[in-house]
Parts: sequence; C-alpha cells; structure tokens
Amino acid sequence: MDEAAARQTAEDIEKGEEILGAYSAPQPDERVLAEVKKNIVAALRRRRTVVFQRRILGAAVAAAIVVVSVLTMIRYGNPLNSHQTRMVAASIPSRVWEGADDADVTILTAEIENIQSELSGAQSEDTGGNGSNDVGDLETELIEINGDMWKG
Amino acid sequence: MAQRDIDRVIIGCKKGDEACFTQLVDIYGRRCFGYFYRLTSNRDLSDELLSELFVKLVEKIGTYRGGSFDGWIFTMASNIFHDHLRFKQRQTRLLDEHGKRIKSQSSGVASGYDGDADKLQMALGELDSDVRELVMMRFYSQMSFKEIAESRREPIGTILSKVHRGLKRLRELMG
Repeated sequence: MDEAAARQTAEDIEKGEEILGAYSAPQPDERVLAEVKKNIVAALRRRRTVVFQRRILGAAVAAAIVVVSVLTMIRYGNPLNSHQTRMVAASIPSRVWEGADDADVTILTAEIENIQSELSGAQSEDTGGNGSNDVGDLETELIEINGDMWKG
Repeated sequence: MAQRDIDRVIIGCKKGDEACFTQLVDIYGRRCFGYFYRLTSNRDLSDELLSELFVKLVEKIGTYRGGSFDGWIFTMASNIFHDHLRFKQRQTRLLDEHGKRIKSQSSGVASGYDGDADKLQMALGELDSDVRELVMMRFYSQMSFKEIAESRREPIGTILSKVHRGLKRLRELMG
C-alpha cells in the first residue's frame, strides 16, 4: 500500500467511525443493569460455596488417609508407603468431591478426627491385655464410617 | 474513570469483592450492551447476552493476566455472541427438520429488528456479519487493529482491510 492509499484508508476509517459516534446505540434499562448485578452476587455466592465444600472435603479425605495409615501401622508395624497412599486416595469416588452436604461433611470430619485420636491413644498404650480389642473395635467403626461416606 | 481506578476495581473483582463487580457493570455495562445491540438489533436478546457476559466474567476473572482489560472483556463478549450464533444455527437446522410445529413453539426467539431500530442499525444490517462484528468490536472496545488481530488470530492486514471495507460501505449507505 503506497502512502496515498494508506492516507485514504485512515481517512475512510476515521469518517466511518465518526458516523458510528453520531448514532449512539440505545442504553440498557437501569432495571436490566440491576438484574445483572443481582446475578453477579448470586454467581459469587455459588462460587464461594463450591470452594468451601472442596476445602472441607479435602480435609476429610486427608484425615481418612491418615487414619488408614495409622491403622496399617498398628496392625502391620509399617506405615503406608507412597504407592499405598496413592491407592487409598485414588479409591475415593469423585462424587465425594462434588456432591456432599456441608453438615454431613462436618459430622464425618469430626468422627474421623475422633477415631484418629482414639487410635493414637491405643497405639501409645503398652496394652494391658485388651489393646488389640480396642484396635479391632476402632477398625470396625472406621469401616462403618467409610461405608457411610461412600453412600453419601 | 481513570485507568488507575479501573485497575483497582479489577483487583477487587479478582478477590471476589461484590462492590467491585457492581462498579464493573457501571463501567462496562452500557458499552457492552451497545455492542450486543448493534450486532443483534434486539433489546431483549442484548439484555440476555449482557447478563451472560457478566456471569461468565465472575467465573473467568481469575484468568485475566493483565494487558488491555477492554480487549479481554470484549473478546469474551465476542465469544458469547458467537456461541449465540451457533445456538441459532442449530435451532434453524432443527426448524428445518421438524417443520412448522416447532417453529410455532420457538416464535419467541429473537430475529431481525425490534421496534426502535435506527438508520445506522438498518445500514449495519447490510454489512457482511463478520465485517459488522469487527467494526463494532473496534468501535466499542477501542482496541487497536493489532489487538483485534491477536484476539481473532487473523493477520492484521486482513482485519484492517475488513474494517476499512465495512466503514466505507457504511458511509455509502448512510449517504
């Protein structure tokens, strides 16, 4: 494109855009803008709820892995190796990350933490005869809770 | 509003501040509505697309990594408009397949001009749809030809040529 053609193009564009400026588009109703703002607030709240649920579920699943790890250590004397930990994590259904109710998750987390502390207590005792029964009871309880968790 | 104030609003939006999103609607709502209206010729549809744009903005604001925010938001607006066009095309195919029965049920779908179309709107309707969209994007977003070319992944010469052709034709039509 030579200089004259470039100048002509720039002039055409400028004049064309002047026409666009002279005819302004209709404005949206204030009611519409208010509705848009309301939708934004709703979308923000939805997003916050999802983030909160994911954090809680993440904590619950991490606690479950710790419990399984402690349980394995008590029974077999060795903690889970990294491969076994990955197996436990992979066995958690994806819907657990998405579908659970906040209240359920809170209760579940509290139960897992409770068992975790009981297990730690049982492990630290130099069992006076019924230590292995305690561990057995806790194991049964853990299995039941895990079952509830998968059922939702 | 000064660019520094707009930047502050954007930072607030990235933190999820409701008041900042509200300010963003005040800053961009009217321009984006104008963009949609000039492309669709329909107020109700423009309202819907505007609402969709800002809800999407809430979801995507974290992906904004600096640069021209006008370019970023109008690229998103353009994508929403194209999604709408694809939806309309699918609907047209369905209408062809299922005939009048569905056509009567879908009569609420916007097409053509609504009551208050002005002379410019009529003239814009004469332009090729791709050219019309480029002209509107350039006018409402105030993006440079280089930015538009990057956003559309087309050579800058092609963009410049289309906008030039479109605006020249518009001048002729507006007489």
